[in-house]
Amino acid sequence: MRGRRVFVTGLGFVSPLGEDPAVVFERLCRGESAIRMVRSGTPEIGADVLLASIDFDPGDRIKKADRLLMARSAQMAVVATGNALEDSGLLVDGRGPEEANVHMGCGLGGAEVLQESYASYSASRRVRPTTVPRIMASGPASLVCMSFGIRGLAHTYSVACASSSVAIGEAFRSIRDGYADVVIAGGAEAMLNDGSVAAWQAVGVIAKQHSQGAGASCRPFDLERTGLVLGEGAVTLILESEERASARGANRVAEIVGFGASSDAHKLTEPSVDGQERAMRNAMEDARLSADTVGYINAHATGTPTGDVVEIEAIKRAFGASARKVAISSTKSMHGHLVGASGALECAVTALALRERRIPQTANLTMPDPACDLDCVAVESRDAPNLEVALSNSFAFGGSNATLVLRRA
Amino acid sequence: MTPYEFLADVLSEKYDVAKEVISPEATLTELGLDSLTVVELLFDVEDEFGIEVPEERATFQTLAEAAALVDELVQAKGA
Repeated sequence: MRGRRVFVTGLGFVSPLGEDPAVVFERLCRGESAIRMVRSGTPEIGADVLLASIDFDPGDRIKKADRLLMARSAQMAVVATGNALEDSGLLVDGRGPEEANVHMGCGLGGAEVLQESYASYSASRRVRPTTVPRIMASGPASLVCMSFGIRGLAHTYSVACASSSVAIGEAFRSIRDGYADVVIAGGAEAMLNDGSVAAWQAVGVIAKQHSQGAGASCRPFDLERTGLVLGEGAVTLILESEERASARGANRVAEIVGFGASSDAHKLTEPSVDGQERAMRNAMEDARLSADTVGYINAHATGTPTGDVVEIEAIKRAFGASARKVAISSTKSMHGHLVGASGALECAVTALALRERRIPQTANLTMPDPACDLDCVAVESRDAPNLEVALSNSFAFGGSNATLVLRRA
Repeated sequence: MTPYEFLADVLSEKYDVAKEVISPEATLTELGLDSLTVVELLFDVEDEFGIEVPEERATFQTLAEAAALVDELVQAKGA
């Protein structure tokens, strides 16, 4: 039996390219990059590193006293969720729908709190009492519930770079299969603190500055790509059953029609064609759509020399003869890799691409790698008047893969 | 700065408590703090005055009681 239909009825962003989804989408179409070279650590001990960071101010959304209990990632999640509830018309007197469930993706939780607590412990053997509740990866989900009076369940999915795609996928399933009518789904990540950035640098996947500047440094599918750029932020989507959305005349951004996941069982940091192919196949099967209906893929493509080629190969295998007809772009070239929040941001961007029938560009793709020989949309957005179905891919360290299928509403 | 002045300052600066409701007789609960935020506040007090508040002594309700405890611990440290 086919389950209920699920619509995205609101979007909320706290992203390196801003908080207004329409403005962020326009920037992604124009090729504006949020990536800058910044000093990590102290002036004396530290390093210059490329980041897509946010000059974040929770403003009126979070009271000063409440901020003492929230890590940066949780604060971003609360602001993004407030924005999404407002966008969907579900924010009434500062409260959201009490019956809603919350599904949040988060990789690390309060990364900066962990760093501060270890530093404090090393220096004085004293650690702040709010450390534990601020560090926990489930903090964003809990604080979203507390902030907006949401009393359904609060679940956190920690699946590295696929966290929020899995959160949205499971939220979609819970509505489709009749366990929920409305879910607040998304992801939050803020791990641009020195220790976390140093750890990422140690893995050896971070991009080097390009000769044309910081903004030119993340170059998915390009011959001169050298790696990924870390970003931060939170993105929330409001998902509702068709019945609920219709009953209240909700605005529909897009429909979610499928979710597929897989595990590589291969290597911790080395992606696998097979795992990614299976995630895409599972997702399209789940949506009961064939590959030739898919007009756009928002690729996971982070800009690493290895990863981008593996994803292209996986698309070729999953799509067969249709692979050459699907438009592909990686918006990470501009907003960076938001890790636990990246799936939510890219799912939202994919929803907007369907609504606007316009495919955002892959910035900096000026010299396509011959190994990435599919239709990668480069340095200019593309109008797609017939766009109906799109995929959003998220492939994580640890070999966890997730693909969402969206349809124009 | 006296312990009371310090407590009043932190409550107004960090916890955004309105200055007009801060008084020696006000209880921390009335000012919007809960068990977690009270121990968080005590962390700042311990840092400022270089003392350690034993868990069993943290039974104060009002600001005046909290300030008196800090005074006592500061003096005990100096003795």
